[in-house]
Amino acid sequence: MPVASVLFALAIGAILVLVSGHDPIGAYIDLFRGAFGSPYDITETLIQTIPLTLAGLSVAVAFRTGLFNIGAESQLLVGAVAAGAVGARFADLPGFLLFPMVLAAGIGAGAAWGAIAGYLKAARGVNEVITTIMQNYIVVFVMHWLLQNGPMTAPNALGTPASAPIGAGAVLPIIIPNELVPLTRLHAGIFLAIAAVAVFWFLLWRTPLGYELRAVGLGARAAAQAGIDPRTRTVLAMAIAGGFAGLAGMIQVTGVFHRVFDGFSSGYGFDAIAVALLGKNSPIGIVLAALLFGAFARGGSLMQANAGVSAQLVSVIEAIVLFVIAAELIVRLLSARRGRKPVEAIA
Amino acid sequence: MKRVLAYLILATTVVAACGGGNTAATSSPSPTASATATPKPIQVGLVTDVGGLNDKSFNQAANTGRLNAEKDFGLKTSVIESKKQEDYVPNLTTFAQQNYDLVIAVGFLMQNAAWKVAKQFPNVKFAIIDGAPANDAGNTENLPNVANLFFKEQEAGYLVGVIAATMAKNKVGKAIHNTLCSMGGIPIPPVDHYMAGYQDAIKTIDPSATILIGYSNDFVDQQKGKEVGLNHISKNCDILFQVAGGSGLGYIAAAKEKGVYAIGVDVDQIDVAPGTVITSAMKRVDKAVYDSSNAVKSGSFKAGDNFFSATNDGIAYGKLDPIVPADAKAAADKALADIKSGAIKPKTDLTVKP
Repeated sequence: MPVASVLFALAIGAILVLVSGHDPIGAYIDLFRGAFGSPYDITETLIQTIPLTLAGLSVAVAFRTGLFNIGAESQLLVGAVAAGAVGARFADLPGFLLFPMVLAAGIGAGAAWGAIAGYLKAARGVNEVITTIMQNYIVVFVMHWLLQNGPMTAPNALGTPASAPIGAGAVLPIIIPNELVPLTRLHAGIFLAIAAVAVFWFLLWRTPLGYELRAVGLGARAAAQAGIDPRTRTVLAMAIAGGFAGLAGMIQVTGVFHRVFDGFSSGYGFDAIAVALLGKNSPIGIVLAALLFGAFARGGSLMQANAGVSAQLVSVIEAIVLFVIAAELIVRLLSARRGRKPVEAIA
Repeated sequence: MKRVLAYLILATTVVAACGGGNTAATSSPSPTASATATPKPIQVGLVTDVGGLNDKSFNQAANTGRLNAEKDFGLKTSVIESKKQEDYVPNLTTFAQQNYDLVIAVGFLMQNAAWKVAKQFPNVKFAIIDGAPANDAGNTENLPNVANLFFKEQEAGYLVGVIAATMAKNKVGKAIHNTLCSMGGIPIPPVDHYMAGYQDAIKTIDPSATILIGYSNDFVDQQKGKEVGLNHISKNCDILFQVAGGSGLGYIAAAKEKGVYAIGVDVDQIDVAPGTVITSAMKRVDKAVYDSSNAVKSGSFKAGDNFFSATNDGIAYGKLDPIVPADAKAAADKALADIKSGAIKPKTDLTVKP
């Protein structure tokens, strides 16, 4: 089903390219070459894949618990701001002290921010979709304040309001030598991402807590009957979700930018919803879906440069993928209501 | 089971993809080999900022310049739109690793990205619109293969200042209080240069005119710009000159709401609020792209600071609203000629400060 929806979206995209007067096969070859055509391109695709994977895990943890986390974006930003603030404030500390501090700040801030939405849902019954969307706005505007004329603003000639750089000890090293792949930015954050995927799998399928979260996701009332309090699990699930997203933000700061700046918002937290859906909330699925979206993001630039097809086509294809998946979910829901067997495939 | 199968297919596609890509890369050492005919045409790549190609601002103007250069000089040109700030480095690299002759970065936000990529590809020429390379520490550092394309904003500010002051002096239309205002985004040199030229022109034409100045402390938030605008209008401002990008649109909106006049900035903003916007102080970004492309073709590329000014038609005033009288236009055209001849040198320091 996920593959079918991607193929379907690519087919629609091809028609759009054709209608706009370009060669769809050439465009897709360039899209592909842009993402995997050279070692540099592959590393750039992976750099995009890392935050998409982590934010995808964030959304998926919530999904598995029956929650819709639209706030991965702001949890990511909060993690980035916390990591950037700690990394710059204690810039002189050696790496073995500074890095764990920055890591904890990023994950912790994201988790706390996510837990707020979880708490409001558990204690007050406020829909988490609403709160997490609102939280996105709060963070974006607080970041404006922090960075434009606030406590984190640092003078620079970068052309954009930005914080001071983080200490060298907090910077994730580039893992491929420049002689091998010139200008590569692929950083050790990829190992943190792989570890996070393993943690996600282990937590959900190998621990009592994971079992409880999934039980709440499958049916909160049934879980309550079995002695699992859905409310505490809701708070925990949102905290864990926020932690994954916060880690994504922390990695963007320590691996890619080495500082926080106004306009840091990348949209990863929103793409992550599609990643989690396409990946069916499973560890391997999320990684593959993130890789696909990462490849789209990277490959789009070469496609535009060589084939003249706007890189926005990629967004269209992503949207169609999401649309097909959503349509499938709705059909399933409807047929389940009517007591029929769900339809197997519709695309 | 079906799901597992699906993932397997997805996985094999991706793996095959990686493998295929690698062999393609090794078998053709030059990625442009297929696209390049002999003799090799000059290739110019443009990387836009995140606003996209239809932003009615710098990106769009830069793309116009690119298309004109392609047509007039027989170049091969391409454009890539940046979707987020971290795309700057890979997008610039996409062109550089294909051995483009000139890679143009639109906007000062790309200063650090351009520095990084330009250092790595010393044989590729780069140009930054409105900026200079900035190293990782955040300091400007000129490079031998990077042209910094700056504009003499004070000259554009001077021209619209002449138009505004002439109108205010003669009490044209709603300009009855002889009070002229301007609002910047944040106090950075390009913003203050515009307003310094504006004030210089006003003081030259009518020393008795009242000048007010403010900042919205923002380049995006229209509401902040509107608040400053309403405040200025309550102090009898008749003509409001915005130098604050998106935030300045709020400044124009205030003028529209209260029925006074506004002046646009950077690009021709006459269409933003017809009847309110009387003209615009323009940076000719299209001209900068056009000229730099030509410079690479003719071998006259100059690294370091390049200024676009009245002398090389790099600045201008925009279309005029019908309310602007002929004498104001004549005065602006005379000022333009005087700036070109060097008879007038608009100030770069603010006369009236907040």
